[in-house]
Amino acid sequence: MRRLFESIKIAFQSLVSNKLRAFLTMLGIIIGVGAVVAMMSIGTGAQESVINSVQDIGSNLIIVTPGNRQEQQQGFKQMLEDDRDKEALKVEDVKMIEKEAKLIKGAAPAVLSSSIITYLNKNTRASVYASSEKAEYIYNFEIEQGQFYTASDVQNSANVAVIGRTVINKLFGKIDPIGKIIKVDGKNFTVIGIIKSKGTDQFGNDQDNSISMPITTAQHKLYGIDYINMIIAQSTSENNMNQASNEVERILRRAHNLRTDEKNDFTVQNQTQLLDIVGTITNIFTITISSIAGISLLVGGIGIMNIMLVSVTERTREIGIRKAVGAKNKDILFQFLVESVVLSITGGILGILFAVAVSIILNRFTILKPTISAFPIILAITFSTMVGLFFGIYPAMRAARLNPIAALRYE
Amino acid sequence: MEENCKDNNCIIEIIDITKIYRIGKIEVKALRGANLKISGGEFVAIMGPSGSGKSTLMNIIGCLDTPDSGKFFLENIDVSKLNDNQLAEIRNKKIGFVFQTFNLLSRSDTVRNVELPLIYSARGAAGNRKTKIFDSLKSVGLIGWEKHKPSELSGGQRQRVAIARALVNDPAIILADEPTGNLDSVTGEEIMAIFQKLNREGKTILLVTHELDIARHANRIIYLRDGKIFREEKIDMPINALEMLEKMPKLEDKLN
Ligand SMILES: Nc1ncnc2c1ncn2[C@@H]1O[C@H](COP(=O)(O)OP(=O)(O)O)[C@@H](O)[C@H]1O
Ligand SMILES: [Mg+2]
Repeated sequence: MRRLFESIKIAFQSLVSNKLRAFLTMLGIIIGVGAVVAMMSIGTGAQESVINSVQDIGSNLIIVTPGNRQEQQQGFKQMLEDDRDKEALKVEDVKMIEKEAKLIKGAAPAVLSSSIITYLNKNTRASVYASSEKAEYIYNFEIEQGQFYTASDVQNSANVAVIGRTVINKLFGKIDPIGKIIKVDGKNFTVIGIIKSKGTDQFGNDQDNSISMPITTAQHKLYGIDYINMIIAQSTSENNMNQASNEVERILRRAHNLRTDEKNDFTVQNQTQLLDIVGTITNIFTITISSIAGISLLVGGIGIMNIMLVSVTERTREIGIRKAVGAKNKDILFQFLVESVVLSITGGILGILFAVAVSIILNRFTILKPTISAFPIILAITFSTMVGLFFGIYPAMRAARLNPIAALRYE
Repeated sequence: MEENCKDNNCIIEIIDITKIYRIGKIEVKALRGANLKISGGEFVAIMGPSGSGKSTLMNIIGCLDTPDSGKFFLENIDVSKLNDNQLAEIRNKKIGFVFQTFNLLSRSDTVRNVELPLIYSARGAAGNRKTKIFDSLKSVGLIGWEKHKPSELSGGQRQRVAIARALVNDPAIILADEPTGNLDSVTGEEIMAIFQKLNREGKTILLVTHELDIARHANRIIYLRDGKIFREEKIDMPINALEMLEKMPKLEDKLN
């Protein structure tokens, strides 16, 4: 233990007495570790924000969209055929799910579009999310002021709407929008509530540039359609998402009178699957990062080996002196090994500090939100220690094997 | 038993040792059958012309090098049978080596240089260490110079640091290879005074020199020529370095 301490002290002395050289040697490790830790932090941050925004929509959600997603990916012919399926989902399907599914707490239909909104002489284009009163809790439409549309609004195709902050800023400025009459694609609507701000999603889209209204109003009075674009259902628990998905699939197949040999004309996805996709992307990212890490640590390691060989040659006489007063081969081996490990760990630590600095800067000045976790730091320290040991062992062995007399004669 | 080991107090015994250096095809026979016995507490000087094998012999006795043939007993241990680690152990505990060129660590101060052998020996706790360093610095008269680097010391002081380092583990034998070779005569005499003091305190001292004035401080002179011991001489009245220093002109006298 005392000898380890002694060796670390000697290693630091020789490091400090050759600051610039030590720094240049460590540069490979610093850059490698820094890049890896920074990239992993960016990745973790991105992953967290994707997960957050997936969960932002609501929790335990099952999403049904028209058309067979799997077939759509298979080719042009199916794409044409699937176009038929565009109208496959109806409001009745939602009612069926609500009535029959035991694992579903609630379900809401959605018509998604975009329309021109006008107030007095100002107008703007906004995303339309038309749904039922259930959307308020299933889709996380929090109402900040006023109220959400009710079941009877949906029943009666009432011309009422709730609008997002961006729309308000563009059309109303400082005026209170509640109770005002706006036009959506030329039709009059009364503003009854303000949707609480959700900010931008991970793709940079403004989620507040939106308007929501009863689905019946959108279908019959705005767009003249009888189909819907999406069903959002909420399972009773996050543990039965997949069973609930299967249940929804069974109910819809029956509702659509599909024979056993017919394929689904809809696609059921749940948040667990979405998060799995995020996981897959993260894994690809991690593999890429690991390869970069491997290469940069290799380069850094070769740099360390090189400088350690130089150091052994330069300090041949010192090695001779140490041996003359009783240092054993293993003492010399240990000293030089500790020195190369100190070099590589110091490089690793500087690399981590570099990554922390990069993360702080990115956090402040960009939309990226890097999250530094313990894992990449432990990984970085472990790997730089291993690099120091691996590339330090050969120079250290050369030092240890020096003949004391020859070493003392070395000029 | 020969004359010098009558009392069976033989600390070093060398029998028919040879050492050959090969540089390419050229063979240099540095030692060609050297025999030597030294008793504990002796002060022996080895003399001989340059290239006669003095350093080679010292390195073998100091366990820094191994002979090609012959036997070497140190405190009745057959050194030729020992491995690298055991030799390192002997260099650490039983022998203190002093070189002509001092061989100090240039980046370390006096204390760190003297401490060096202690780093490589298992015994001696930290507290004990400090007293050992202090004691050996005191016995070479270097108290007050603890924090100086070798470059901040004179030649004589550097050699005294080297002697303190050789003493710190309290070895039985001090080997000195031309310790005064790089020093002026007054400083050399001071170093000899230290060796004589150490010898009076019981250390066995083996000193290589090519100056008769230096050799005559010992009790016995061994003459080496062409890798063999060809003569030895007992000194009944060795020079007393302290008396010698009294008589020598002081630096101030020279300037006046
Ligand atoms: N490492 C070596 N390689 C080759 N020749 C050597 C080596 N060391 C010593 N010699 C040769 O061995 C002979 C004895 O050298 P050495 O013991 O140093 O003599 P001294 O110390 O008496 O001057 C010399 O001829 C010298 O050149
Ligand atoms: Mg010599």
